[in-house]
Amino acid sequence: MKILKGKPVVKGRASGPALITKIPMNFTASFTKPKNLMPFWRSLVQDNRHDLFNKNIKGSVFVYPATIGSTYTGMILLELMNQGAGPAAIIVQNVDPLMAAGPILADVWFGKGIPVIEYPSEDIFDTIRTGAMVEVNGDTGEIFVL
Amino acid sequence: MKLNPEQESILKGDNGRVMAMAMETVVKYGEAFGAKKLVPIKSAHLAGTFGIGPYRAYIQVLRQIVSEGLRVKVPTTVNPKPGYDLNFINRHIVFTNQQSLEQLLTAIGITPNYSCVCYEKANVPSFGDRLAWAESSAVQFANSVLGARTNRNSILIDVCCAITGFTPEFGYLLDAHRRGQILVKLNIKKMDAPALGYVLGRKVVDKVPVIEHYPFTRIELKNMGGSMAASGGVAMFHVEGLTPEAPDMKTVFDGPPMETITVTQEDLDALRIRKSEMSGIVIFGCPQMTYEETLAIAERFVNKRVEIPTWFCLAPDELTLFKAHYLYGKTLDAGITVSQDCPLAAFSMRLNRKRIITPSGKMLYYLKGVNYGTEDDCLRACGVLQ
Repeated sequence: MKILKGKPVVKGRASGPALITKIPMNFTASFTKPKNLMPFWRSLVQDNRHDLFNKNIKGSVFVYPATIGSTYTGMILLELMNQGAGPAAIIVQNVDPLMAAGPILADVWFGKGIPVIEYPSEDIFDTIRTGAMVEVNGDTGEIFVL
Repeated sequence: MKLNPEQESILKGDNGRVMAMAMETVVKYGEAFGAKKLVPIKSAHLAGTFGIGPYRAYIQVLRQIVSEGLRVKVPTTVNPKPGYDLNFINRHIVFTNQQSLEQLLTAIGITPNYSCVCYEKANVPSFGDRLAWAESSAVQFANSVLGARTNRNSILIDVCCAITGFTPEFGYLLDAHRRGQILVKLNIKKMDAPALGYVLGRKVVDKVPVIEHYPFTRIELKNMGGSMAASGGVAMFHVEGLTPEAPDMKTVFDGPPMETITVTQEDLDALRIRKSEMSGIVIFGCPQMTYEETLAIAERFVNKRVEIPTWFCLAPDELTLFKAHYLYGKTLDAGITVSQDCPLAAFSMRLNRKRIITPSGKMLYYLKGVNYGTEDDCLRACGVLQ
């Protein structure tokens, strides 16, 4: 097991298989396409410009570099979490107000927040591979790669 | 974070349970970014105006806010409507919460401008004003062109700031985060501002680019920014000697830039539509067209007739002005459809699989089946330019 230490952004503990991308994420373009209107396709990435196209974000520990695009972002993530279709935790290289809004809103208004950790260093991509089980502690910033 | 007595009392629940939750949202949002205090805002702009059927959490929160009779504390404008009446799909499948949503927004006391170019007339900030705006293109215009200060706030964060009247002080509210980071050199023969924005969003992602001097018009700045905030997460850009916080390179940068990039004519031209692809629907106005912008484009359709469906999407208050101008009649006579809706939302579900041709880099990013063209390319597609 390897342990990484990042900066805690949103509290909470969770674990799941890692889903990793090195390409910035437009959550709005990803989850507001016609296919996403159907409950069982809600969490399928539908941004056809992205390398995660057609991948399912549900239950994953989602690792990505930065957020781009619309101010719908927080609402999209809130909706995914409220419907139990969101990631289990988020690790981001450069945290931003739009993504952070999702888990914060889900926590305050629905009691369904998820932990978020900022981890700027590139070694995250060498240490965690897609599919690896990862445990995240949003209180301390610790990332356990099992 | 240090709260003042008024903020403490709201958070404790002295103004009711829902107001306390709104305050808790704003406080936790600030704490996530190390904000030391909350500051009063001059205005808010809300992005959540699409009543998308399956997306219920937003409506549920608004209902709680309305049930306690809470209203916005500052002037608050809202984004465009999504084209509810445009077709059967929009009315009955996609925007099935639209009427409830508009009623809730009215109940919290918004200004019914329904436009993403709110900064033109309905909600005009002054230099240095602190705001809590959503809508990526409006945030960027307020920061970059007007010198006001707002972060890229999400839907519902915008609402919580509007009803508490406060936003946490971090990010683009602070001088340190408004300085240039990446120097952008231009090697361009013919300017194409939306394409430049699209390319820059890709290259700088979420940094603050400083473009070497070019005499962009206000309309070009708006359309360039809209693209940059879609292909990237740019909250603020500078243009040397043009935008208010970049009188010269020395002032805008704090030391040497972290990176220098060059955008070439080839970078811009690579986005452009090919002659063989010029069929479908042509859409102007994402972000929505202003009055001046519409006049300039409408002029080019006078006494002509479009050969494929063509749309102008204007902000409602800009359309009111346009309707009084003789070019409005000429525009309709040319066969153009004039709309006040958000084309991104209105055309996200299309029954016929027609492609869209547009001079908007923002629409290029968000919708499937879109070709980008310069204004001239789009006029050629319409069949009004050789």
